[in-house]
Amino acid sequence: MKLYQVVLKDVFRRKRRVLYATLGVVIGTATVVGILTVASAGQARIYNQLEKYGPNLAVIPAINNLDMKLGDVRLGSLAVGDNYVSEDKLPIIRQIADGEIRKALKIEDQGNIATIAPNLYIDTKIRDTSVMVAGIDPEEELKIKTWWKVQEGKYLDQTDEALVGALAAQVLKLKIGDVIPLDGTSVTVAGILEETGSNDDYQVFVPIDTLQKASGREGLVSSVDIRALCNACPVEIIADGINKEIPGVRAVAVKQIAATEMGMMEKFSKFMLTLAGITLAVGLFGVVNTMMTSVNERIKDIGIMRAVGASRSQIVKAFIYEAIIIGIIGGILGYLVGTLLAYVAGPLVFEGTTVAYVPQYFALAIGLAIAVAVVATVYPAYRATQIKVADSFRSL
Amino acid sequence: MLELKEISKVYGEGAARVVALDKISFSADEDNFIAVMGPSGSGKSTFLNIIGGLDRPSSGEVLLEGKRIDDLDENKLVDIRRGKIAYVFQQYHLLPSLTALENVLLPLVFCGAKKDEGRALEILEKVGLGKRTKHKPSQLSGGEQQRVAIARALVSMPSLILADEPTGNMDRKTGGEIMGLFTQLHNEGHGIIMVTHDPEIATFANSTVFLQDGRIVKKTSQKARRLRKK
Repeated sequence: MKLYQVVLKDVFRRKRRVLYATLGVVIGTATVVGILTVASAGQARIYNQLEKYGPNLAVIPAINNLDMKLGDVRLGSLAVGDNYVSEDKLPIIRQIADGEIRKALKIEDQGNIATIAPNLYIDTKIRDTSVMVAGIDPEEELKIKTWWKVQEGKYLDQTDEALVGALAAQVLKLKIGDVIPLDGTSVTVAGILEETGSNDDYQVFVPIDTLQKASGREGLVSSVDIRALCNACPVEIIADGINKEIPGVRAVAVKQIAATEMGMMEKFSKFMLTLAGITLAVGLFGVVNTMMTSVNERIKDIGIMRAVGASRSQIVKAFIYEAIIIGIIGGILGYLVGTLLAYVAGPLVFEGTTVAYVPQYFALAIGLAIAVAVVATVYPAYRATQIKVADSFRSL
Repeated sequence: MLELKEISKVYGEGAARVVALDKISFSADEDNFIAVMGPSGSGKSTFLNIIGGLDRPSSGEVLLEGKRIDDLDENKLVDIRRGKIAYVFQQYHLLPSLTALENVLLPLVFCGAKKDEGRALEILEKVGLGKRTKHKPSQLSGGEQQRVAIARALVSMPSLILADEPTGNMDRKTGGEIMGLFTQLHNEGHGIIMVTHDPEIATFANSTVFLQDGRIVKKTSQKARRLRKK
């Protein structure tokens, strides 16, 4: 028999009292877990929106004369006349973007980091309807428009294929396999996109090389979308670098909106965590209170243990063991209650958010609960050691 | 082995001042079975608590095997409780959550000794509880609980057993049985100092000390009773 077994048996006998002490720990831990889970769900939603914004940066010719939007973000105006960016500027753009990211994140690896997707926009007529045809680099474009889903057919993989936006397909009555004449050449409809709610729905996408050749604009692009796959990427610095080093182009950072929202989220999280801390402190006092009662109730038991040879430190140890038991039970319950709370409250706080339980918070909950229980036990345990054995029996 | 020199114990101050022990000198050996008698409030329990280091005297010296123990710090007193001296109380003072066997093993838990279930079972057998080792205190009668408490005192093999009214809660027959057990322990070489208010119980001891108002007023010695035949 070990001391912890003696404690376990005693805890089992006094289970109601121990559960009452556990309640204080549960309330504190559940609040923290609940808030963190809701916050992480909110953050996931913002990251998700960030993805939908697509590029972090758009590089366009310095002279503009046509309104252009990308996603839901206005990029100002875009020239479709004679103003283009030369394709040979792409390597320089990559060099600046990757270089700044490497510097910011301290990456040694020399491979490509940022996604750089050139676009060429040509206004043309298909079946007597004016349509915007966009030349894209199929591979890079998909990395930017991660939300693209092919509703019918397949994604672009041949040079003579076309991908059609959902509404464009409806208006032009295009089906898979239809051949679209494109100036000198022709392309076959390979896939139709699902509706995205953006300008993409009205456009026809073809590989950029094909469009460059057909329109006689070899080596030219209308805009370049840059996407760095990190939220700490120095988008503004990259934009400044491009603006300074490459004449004739304008780089626009489109991350600000997301950053603002993220900042608000962080402030909200901090505020809520402060509240959680207060709840935790209140829970702590609850546990101190219950443990004090427990010491008073067990004066006799403590006296017995002292009389048969327990040292003061063994009495403290017995109380710490009890605190650890309370912490483990409180942590498990706190995690469950907190997660449940998040599932209920999450959608109320962030409309349309799906809350997911966070397994990592389980360890956090247990750790936090044990810490609270142990801290709350220190003073009562000290009081227990001050009990005089002779008095403990006399008081009965 | 045990010597008390001019021990005084004073509780409270001013008007509430109570002198529990007044300059008591006393000595006992390992082969003694001493009964301490006196009316309530005469200082019997205080006397016993000071001998065992459960309480500290206001003045005077307590010597155990020639060494002072009244001025030892808590940790050293713990060592004495773990080896030389053991207690048996009127209220038995067993832990309610543990079985008879576990209660007997409790002193070994604290002194870090190896789990010696064999010895604990042997001792329980000896005190007549060989068949009730798995019972909790609430399932045992008063006499049985006191036997568990005695077994718990014996497990650390003390040279001196201090008993505070060990039969105080028992009928005459059960009390007689417990005293038979004490007499047996005395014959096996354990020194016993027992507080009682019952003259009949005191006759089991081989000397009796009478306390009144914190002073020893009389000492008698008698031939200790032999084990009564069942």
